[in-house]
Amino acid sequence: MSKKLRNPVLLFNLFFLAVTGWLHAADKTPQSVKVTVVSILAGSTGDGFDPKLKGLEQQLRPLKHHSYRSLKDETQTIPWQGNKTFEIPGGRSLTITTQEFQNNRIGLKIHLTQGEKPLIDTTVKIANKGNIILGGPAHEGGSLVLSISAAAQ
Amino acid sequence: MSQCEFLEESIGRWLDGELPPAESEAVRRHVASCADCGAVCQRLEKIQLTLGTLLAAEAARLEFAPFWLEVQHRIEAKRPWHVEPIEAVQSLFSVPRLAWLVPAAIILVLGFLSLAKWPTGVEVNNYASVESIDAHGRNVALLREDETKTTIIWLYQDPEGEDENVEETAKSGPAF
Amino acid sequence: MELSDWQLVEKCQAGDAKAFEELVSRYYQKVFMVILGLMRNREDALEVAQETFFRAFRKIKSFQGGSSFYTWIYRIAVNNAIDAQRKQKRNPLDFHEAMDGMFEARNEVAKDPFTDVHDRQLRENMTKAINELTAEHKAVIVLRTIEGMSYKDIGEILGCSEGTVMSRLHYARKKLQDKLKVFL
Repeated sequence: MSKKLRNPVLLFNLFFLAVTGWLHAADKTPQSVKVTVVSILAGSTGDGFDPKLKGLEQQLRPLKHHSYRSLKDETQTIPWQGNKTFEIPGGRSLTITTQEFQNNRIGLKIHLTQGEKPLIDTTVKIANKGNIILGGPAHEGGSLVLSISAAAQ
Repeated sequence: MSQCEFLEESIGRWLDGELPPAESEAVRRHVASCADCGAVCQRLEKIQLTLGTLLAAEAARLEFAPFWLEVQHRIEAKRPWHVEPIEAVQSLFSVPRLAWLVPAAIILVLGFLSLAKWPTGVEVNNYASVESIDAHGRNVALLREDETKTTIIWLYQDPEGEDENVEETAKSGPAF
Repeated sequence: MELSDWQLVEKCQAGDAKAFEELVSRYYQKVFMVILGLMRNREDALEVAQETFFRAFRKIKSFQGGSSFYTWIYRIAVNNAIDAQRKQKRNPLDFHEAMDGMFEARNEVAKDPFTDVHDRQLRENMTKAINELTAEHKAVIVLRTIEGMSYKDIGEILGCSEGTVMSRLHYARKKLQDKLKVFL
């Protein structure tokens, strides 16, 4: 290599490695997680798809219900390893705790209750900016379906 | 380190006029009073003068007219069509440029890994991994929907009246 | 009134070949000196100097004037010389022999015969000592010698800091003093 260029190149490479290292480190420790919970009523009668749920249509169709209606859409920012509670229709509440961030996947602890009664406790890892569907509880003649999505910030 | 050794590095800079005024004055005074450093100055000046004279003497022999004629020939010469592309490719792969390709290659590798790691568009791998699940005695189904790569947790509520305060109970799960 | 380098560059960019000829006439000897200082052979240095101006002509449209014309042309010259040297490893005595020939041809006569012999030995050994320096050390000492160029300009030409120029110069001078101490 031309010696006159060796030092700037070396410096640039070191700087570049430092920056990528820093970015990599930053990737591992997001400040918070933006969690969105969409509450959906999946009905066994009627026919119709709520236009508000357009982004979820493909994911909901396989549930083979006749209709899908958006009941509530709530977004909260949860600090890293903190938790927030979402009010879910039917006197239910969903508490989400952020746990870990690895390989661009977010670990979430999900706790769904009906009043005081726990319905389900689960720990999942979902893709950053991805979602998981949690459904089943009966609601207004149909089933309550929750789409829980998370994005690291 | 003696003052002379300490000042040795400064003498060259002083002769080159690259020292700040205060330092320059200190070197000047020292050189004036120190025979050894004075001799260093003389040697450096002699080296500079000799080299300058040698190069200038050679350059003086160079006449402009033939020099310019040759430059002009090169400018006017029609180069074969392939010369410029070959030169461009060669310069792309010259050693200094290859050195800059190191970070570029790292960027490409990171970019490639990012594509696999950070899903975008329709290629999203949205599958979630379920590490633990406790439905408190109820039945639960864990499903993976391949088309949209979605994980679904379906909770079957107890039909025997545990949830009597619930308005209604789902009678069945979804027909996947 | 004599046009400045930049004015000539602008004329070249507008397609005035005469302006380029004027620039070449201003710098061809100095560019040749820089290249000769870096290379060992006069003929090779001449070839590289001509190629330097040819490349400058091809690149002149992209010259934005971010640096002065002379630092720009010297940068091309130094890069060409280093590239050419990498390509052809020539006999290190060529330049030495060329210089010998030059002094004999001019039949120089000094007032003091002893000084003449002494200086002649210094000149002969100077070429040898310079050739033993690395390209980066040769470059700083040659650029500094030719025009008394500032460390800043040398750094700009060689793509290194003023501090690096300073330490390379110090090292190169120390080496030359060591090698030439008998003749200084």
